[in-house]
Amino acid sequence: MARVRSRSTSLRDLDQGPRRTTPGRRFATAGAVAAAGVLALAPAARAEDQIPTVAAAPANSDSAVSAVKDPLEGFNRGAFKVGMGLDRVLFSPIAHGYLAVTPRVVRNRVSSAVYNLGEPNTVINQVLQGRPKRAMRSTARFVVNSTVGVLGLFDVASKMHLPPREADFGQTFGAWGAGPGAYLYLPGMGPLNVRDGVGRALDIATDPISLYVGGFSTDFGKARTGVTIVDLRAQTDPAFHALEDAADPYVTTRSAYTQYREAFVRQATGEAEDLPDFDTPPPPPATPKP
Amino acid sequence: MTSPGNPMKNILPTRRGANAALLAFFGASALAVASPALAQARDPGAEAFVQTKAQRVITVLANKSMSDAQKTQVFHQAVDELADVPRITNFVLGKYARTITPDQRARFTPVFRTYAENVYQSRIDDYRGEQLKVTGSVVRKPGDVIVNTTISGGQITTPLPVSWRVLGGGQTWKVVDVQFKGIWLAITQQQDFVSTIDNAGGNIDVLINQLQKGGSGSPGRR
Repeated sequence: MARVRSRSTSLRDLDQGPRRTTPGRRFATAGAVAAAGVLALAPAARAEDQIPTVAAAPANSDSAVSAVKDPLEGFNRGAFKVGMGLDRVLFSPIAHGYLAVTPRVVRNRVSSAVYNLGEPNTVINQVLQGRPKRAMRSTARFVVNSTVGVLGLFDVASKMHLPPREADFGQTFGAWGAGPGAYLYLPGMGPLNVRDGVGRALDIATDPISLYVGGFSTDFGKARTGVTIVDLRAQTDPAFHALEDAADPYVTTRSAYTQYREAFVRQATGEAEDLPDFDTPPPPPATPKP
Repeated sequence: MTSPGNPMKNILPTRRGANAALLAFFGASALAVASPALAQARDPGAEAFVQTKAQRVITVLANKSMSDAQKTQVFHQAVDELADVPRITNFVLGKYARTITPDQRARFTPVFRTYAENVYQSRIDDYRGEQLKVTGSVVRKPGDVIVNTTISGGQITTPLPVSWRVLGGGQTWKVVDVQFKGIWLAITQQQDFVSTIDNAGGNIDVLINQLQKGGSGSPGRR
């Protein structure tokens, strides 16, 4: 899983990862993500993205991990079904074609370039999170990779001890203390929660590259959107395969997305993870849903 | 854990309007930045266990000279050394661990074992890494430790963080969960299984039958 850049995860490596969308790319990228809604399943991380798994003793077995608010489950399940259907007929074939005709080294370069275009947004959020050193490093990464790294195709900065540290508005809100709110699955947007949905909208609206270089109305914006979608879907392909193993893919997606995003927020806060007690099952159900 | 702060002071001028709206939305006065968690003790015994046993599993899966059938067979054997299968089997049932009948448990146990081996092998194999390196551990409480590792080599271009939750003590440890990118596999499975049983009106047999078929087989099926 590559590191999760555009608020999604990828299950494999990766020195690259889908990145935040630009204003212009919003719909297309959203479609990809949606189709894939599973982005949350594909982990992909770098060593420097080590998630704080420090775990304090839980108060009880019903940890924050399992306490997902999903008041719109009926709607969300329908949207999930639509999203997965869209993926099967459109995004999956495109991604598999891309995977079939391009060697890994080429895909890695593409992913690096896509990630690099999202770096300015990362800087903004690191500043907002009160992380000036990280913001400086991300700024340096962007300058180095955009020049020496040939428009971001090569992550030269990592070899200069400037590892990637992503950040987005959803994480920033979490670092400021905002809870995730209700879980949402939106066709065209994929798995979300209220906090990350607002965050994603801001990521799109304030993306510096789109604002200062070109949004979807430009050829650059259109190309960026298309490449980002294909790169994102290709990177998250293992997550889609993982979903096939699930008894309830909707809940598996919800669980994975929620865990991933909370872990991402903990990267910013350093807070301990509240894990369930492994040997104490929750109380038996009062009345199972029919 | 938190300390009050003024997030506005760091906002870039060009983002002032948007961020002011954000702050208003969430209630800026309540926002705070959490301080880092306190340092916690490491457990050398748990770390050594993961280094040895998890490395063995990864080595097997990365072995290009072995057939898939051979890997599956060796993985099956290695699971008993690495993981506490009975504990995991009970955990993934969640609240239904208290209500499952002996007959259902007898049928669920072997079905879950086969299912879980396939899933875990697939997830670990997704990375195709070759070397595992322990980077630290955190003692949640005595006998309950999170061992942090990175996997590298093979197809992994940048070390991949993977955490292992191990229970035990002294020289006797067993893995009960694995975390990739913040996602714990057993916790995810528990939520998957409990939801499936919930939606079947509490009938655990429905889950057993579904696992025998190898999951949903289709992400959008439900």
